[in-house]
Amino acid sequence: MVAKKIVAQNVTKSFGSVEAIKDVTCSILDREFVVIIGPSGCGKSTFLYMVAGFEHPSSGALSLDGRQIVGPGPDRGIVFQEFVLYPWRTVLRNVTLGLEIGKVAQVEAEAHAKKWIRLAGLSGFEHAYPATLSGGMKQRVAIARALTYEPEVLLLDEPFGALDVQTKNYMIRDLQNLWQEASKTILMVTHSITEAVHLADRVLIFGARPSTIVAEVKIDVERPRRVSNSRLKSYEDEITAILSDEVDKAMRQMNVAV
Amino acid sequence: MTYVGSISRLASLSNRIGVPIIAIGLPLLAWELLSAIYPSGSFLFPAPSSIARLIWSQLSFDNQNGELIGHVGYSLLRLLVGVALATIVGTIIGALIGFTQWGRMILRPLLSLFMPVPALAWTPIFLLLIGIDNRTTILIVLIAASFEIIVNVASGIDNMNRRLLWVADSMGATNMQKLTKVIIPGILPYLITGVKLGTGFAWRSLIAAEMLAAGSYGLGFMIYRASELLDMKTIYAGLVIIAFLGYVIENVLIGRVEAATTERWGIQVER
Repeated sequence: MVAKKIVAQNVTKSFGSVEAIKDVTCSILDREFVVIIGPSGCGKSTFLYMVAGFEHPSSGALSLDGRQIVGPGPDRGIVFQEFVLYPWRTVLRNVTLGLEIGKVAQVEAEAHAKKWIRLAGLSGFEHAYPATLSGGMKQRVAIARALTYEPEVLLLDEPFGALDVQTKNYMIRDLQNLWQEASKTILMVTHSITEAVHLADRVLIFGARPSTIVAEVKIDVERPRRVSNSRLKSYEDEITAILSDEVDKAMRQMNVAV
Repeated sequence: MTYVGSISRLASLSNRIGVPIIAIGLPLLAWELLSAIYPSGSFLFPAPSSIARLIWSQLSFDNQNGELIGHVGYSLLRLLVGVALATIVGTIIGALIGFTQWGRMILRPLLSLFMPVPALAWTPIFLLLIGIDNRTTILIVLIAASFEIIVNVASGIDNMNRRLLWVADSMGATNMQKLTKVIIPGILPYLITGVKLGTGFAWRSLIAAEMLAAGSYGLGFMIYRASELLDMKTIYAGLVIIAFLGYVIENVLIGRVEAATTERWGIQVER
């Protein structure tokens, strides 16, 4: 039996009078790759930020390894859609930052960082400044930066949302490899069904606001997964059907409100 | 280096240096010729060559004529001390506006109120409080330089992506680490821009303030005294030196710092 890494128990989050998330209960296993998908504005990123510790649940409990999450910490690494690199630091210095903060000796930190820079496909760009990199490369830096200080959980907030399709496909392929190499628990938020079925062990589908988990789909396809795999297509169709029901529901809610 | 490359490099060099030389040189040449043709006008408009000779003769440390060095030295010292103080004061006030609610609420209106007042307008007050003293001119520099630094530091904090702090948080950064590794380098480009603009304002205000509130030294004092003695050449020499030093400080010295940070990081500081 695999240990439960992250456990959410009746997690609810309101912003003022707006209820963003209602009664989310789920658990994510150790080294599992879970993707949360849902209509835009459904509060899926809010859920991710609560796991990261940037936001706090209004009620309910959220725990990591059995300990309640009270704030951000180095056991969880985060990657944002818009990269959020430090422009005054080179690629290498961005990637070593986590270890620098953890007071790891520089030589050791650099050796470690270079390993992840290589695995992320950034060799040769160690001394480049972020402003000189393309969007895809910036996101590789952000992923390498989050993996280098060895968090137990990697949190990805629509990591490919700002990338073009071609770059995105390469990133999806490479992220699978990185995940296998790092053997981490990954929780990723996206609105792309293709990304979800390619990457996830399990897809959690969030409904319209106030959102809760409306369905869960286990993607039972061996890795590495290829774009041409026909079973991925049928999973895609299944999730599309569930999601379009939710989008309809969201639309109807808006009509009622009007 | 290729032949074509060296040609284009030479061309860009001649554009960068040659064009300004012609733009400044031709009017000077015309001025020189006119003052040779009409010697009667050379009291109010002394020939550029005679101004240059005066400056040259004053550039010595040892004899009675070496006063110019003293004037330049005092002006630069006042500028340096005033700008250094303004950098400290401006960064602190800018940070209070950027990071604290009460700082924003109290200091923003005060800033809007006092920013349009020329620094020089404070001179009579300081003259009464302090008198003709280095402290008066340094205070004028401090005021003149502070506003740009405050405004730029505050906008640097406003424009800083808060998620840069989130990332550091998720790495377990302490408040001290967030200050030294995120906040300070994050606002540095804005601080440099503020210091650059502030120094420009301060230099202009200082020269004017020295005309009112300097007892014996300073470029402003030198010009003012020369005007009382109807010494036109010294006045023009002073103007040339003020322009030259202002350019060197703002563009060459601070420009260097800017190139080493903002330009290297590829950051645009919006103004």
